[in-house]
Amino acid sequence: MKKMTEAQLTELETDLNAIRDEVLADLGERDARYIRRMVRLHRGLEASGRLMMPFGFLPPVFVAATTTLGLAKILENMEIGHNVMHGQYDWMNDPSLHSQTYEWDTVCTGDSWRRTHNYEHHTYTNIIGKDRDYGYAVLRLTRDEPWKPWHALQFINYILLSVFFQWGVGLHELETEKLRSREISWREKLPFLREFARKGGRQAFKDYVFFPLITFPVAPIVLAGNVGANLIRNLWSSTVIFCGHFTQDAETFTEEECEGESKGHWYLRQLTGSSNFTGGRWLHIMSGHLSYQVEHHVFPDLPAHRYPEISGKVQDVCRKHGIHYNTGSFAKQYGTVVKRIIRHSLPERMVGFFKAA
Amino acid sequence: MLARHTQHKALQWLGRQLFNRNDPEAFFDPLLERINPMWVQEYTPARVEQVLSETRDTQTLVLKPARRWTGFRAGQHVNVCVDIDGVRHNRTFSLSSSPLLWQEQGLVTLTIKRLPGGLVTNWVHDHLRTGAIIGIGEAFGDFLIPEPAQPVLFIAGGSGITPVLSQIETMAASDYRAPVTLLYFVRTTDDIIAQERLLALEARYSALTLQIIATNESKEPRYLHDRDLDAVPGIKARQVYLCGPRGLMDLAQDLLRERGFSDADIHSTFFSVAQADLGQETLGGEIQFEGSQLEVSSEGDATLLEIAEAAGLTPRYGCRMGICHQCSCRKTTGTVINRLTGQASSPGEENVQLCISVPRGPVSLDL
Repeated sequence: MKKMTEAQLTELETDLNAIRDEVLADLGERDARYIRRMVRLHRGLEASGRLMMPFGFLPPVFVAATTTLGLAKILENMEIGHNVMHGQYDWMNDPSLHSQTYEWDTVCTGDSWRRTHNYEHHTYTNIIGKDRDYGYAVLRLTRDEPWKPWHALQFINYILLSVFFQWGVGLHELETEKLRSREISWREKLPFLREFARKGGRQAFKDYVFFPLITFPVAPIVLAGNVGANLIRNLWSSTVIFCGHFTQDAETFTEEECEGESKGHWYLRQLTGSSNFTGGRWLHIMSGHLSYQVEHHVFPDLPAHRYPEISGKVQDVCRKHGIHYNTGSFAKQYGTVVKRIIRHSLPERMVGFFKAA
Repeated sequence: MLARHTQHKALQWLGRQLFNRNDPEAFFDPLLERINPMWVQEYTPARVEQVLSETRDTQTLVLKPARRWTGFRAGQHVNVCVDIDGVRHNRTFSLSSSPLLWQEQGLVTLTIKRLPGGLVTNWVHDHLRTGAIIGIGEAFGDFLIPEPAQPVLFIAGGSGITPVLSQIETMAASDYRAPVTLLYFVRTTDDIIAQERLLALEARYSALTLQIIATNESKEPRYLHDRDLDAVPGIKARQVYLCGPRGLMDLAQDLLRERGFSDADIHSTFFSVAQADLGQETLGGEIQFEGSQLEVSSEGDATLLEIAEAAGLTPRYGCRMGICHQCSCRKTTGTVINRLTGQASSPGEENVQLCISVPRGPVSLDL
């Protein structure tokens, strides 16, 4: 990681705080209108997707219904759920948009997400051994992690993780790696498993039992469409999230270098550990503005639709301090993610061998 | 807080299954609001039908709540929610009309005075116009006229007249057969709220004795005096209802207690609830916000809500005066003092209202 003195880090902190304070002072009607518009759009998409689905025996309707419901889930998870749970709209004091009580349309419970994502991932971002989001304890994505033979097949694991992403995220807090190493016991994880089963059961009941049953004559079509919608959401959210921290230039950190760190150092880590991708307005909205992952990690509780507006200022600060601002087209960034997964499935000496050859 | 509480268990269950929320009917609010804002389910929408000017700083809003609203009894209040620059604000106001107006015409009134520096009351005066829609909750409160009829004395001050208006109008309409006296304190005669209504009531309801007292029109302020109470016939047998500013309430309570009134015969409504004297207690302590992994220390009589906000947290809140329970939060350990009653909580796990709980020693919260 780029080395900066404490004085430089303090200056970085001041510069970024100024951007944050300016947005905070300006929060109001415009932000409320934006998020309510998104919620309204979600309700519209969800209702029309569900209503069209029983007529899915007509192939074009099936495609439209599945896509619509998939988009509804994406919008709810990414632009509404994820951002609301970060507390981006708490200042509105609207009980249906409050971070501590919001429950989203995915297997992972809001409470588990608030613990593992808001707290662990956003505090210990990219610190190997502390940020369990880094590779999700399934993938080896850095040289700092020792190679094991089963990493050789990790591309298959990556595909499986993407396909079943909501279940993977839901089970993230189970900490299977610590269960395997007997660091923690299954007994300790019982309360979590109970909550997981309740929420996972609920999600499966809705999409795979309830809606197919109430449209009984066309149950298989509705079931297939709902599976498809969940799959669309899983693949898209997994892809967006992988582009956020696992691109080529996204840095990782060791526990030692982050011990007792200052806020300025935390800012630096967020800036260098995250990566953006470029695109049109709707690509940003459908990624929950995680396409502005850098801005999101620096200011996780500012309303996400503000990220495009402050991006220029964040880039200015990066330029001033000589910090690399990691961005590129969606295709380019995702390409480096795939390369990273494949490259680290090989032991270091093999990588060296390929390079030499 | 503004949600309806009479929900079917099965509906709640289905709501959790399908929409991950206990109030499935509110799930489609964002769409319903576009079609007809009166269809919103999260709270009871109420349309402003008319705005009447009472005095230079007081207005009466005539509201038409959605028909599903369950009504109220004279003397009760409602929580009202308005969105101001994107922020939802909840406030509690007394209903100033008689329940008969609701039963016959589907209308209720709120009489609202501008408070100096008050965000919501000033916004209502400056921005709320006929046709606008605000949210209201179900009515609550136990500032109710005695049944069966007993002699009553009302002592009201300023905008504290609002629930009393509702009560006396209801008494007049139901021919409440017991002496009723109203001592109404206003700063000057220009500040009399609903003067015409009061005079009309006095004229048609023979049981009512009305006395309006201006406190600031003579050289010496003219406050409530023992003589005023002496002049009320059969005062010993009266049920007394107090509603007004703090000074008037305290004075009236003292005078009544000296006369041997018991607490059971003195009724006072919320915005006059006396704050307990916390002077002798050593307050403050280490506050642990467990959900946020944050620990801060506080001194003095700052409430948990103020402490949390000062620490950068944004807990839900509503009235900030201990009424609406919007800010209720799980306390896992520690003792808090209720700012209104001065009573200490148990040290164990329980729900507390952040806005009126002052820590005494270390407190852990699930926040």
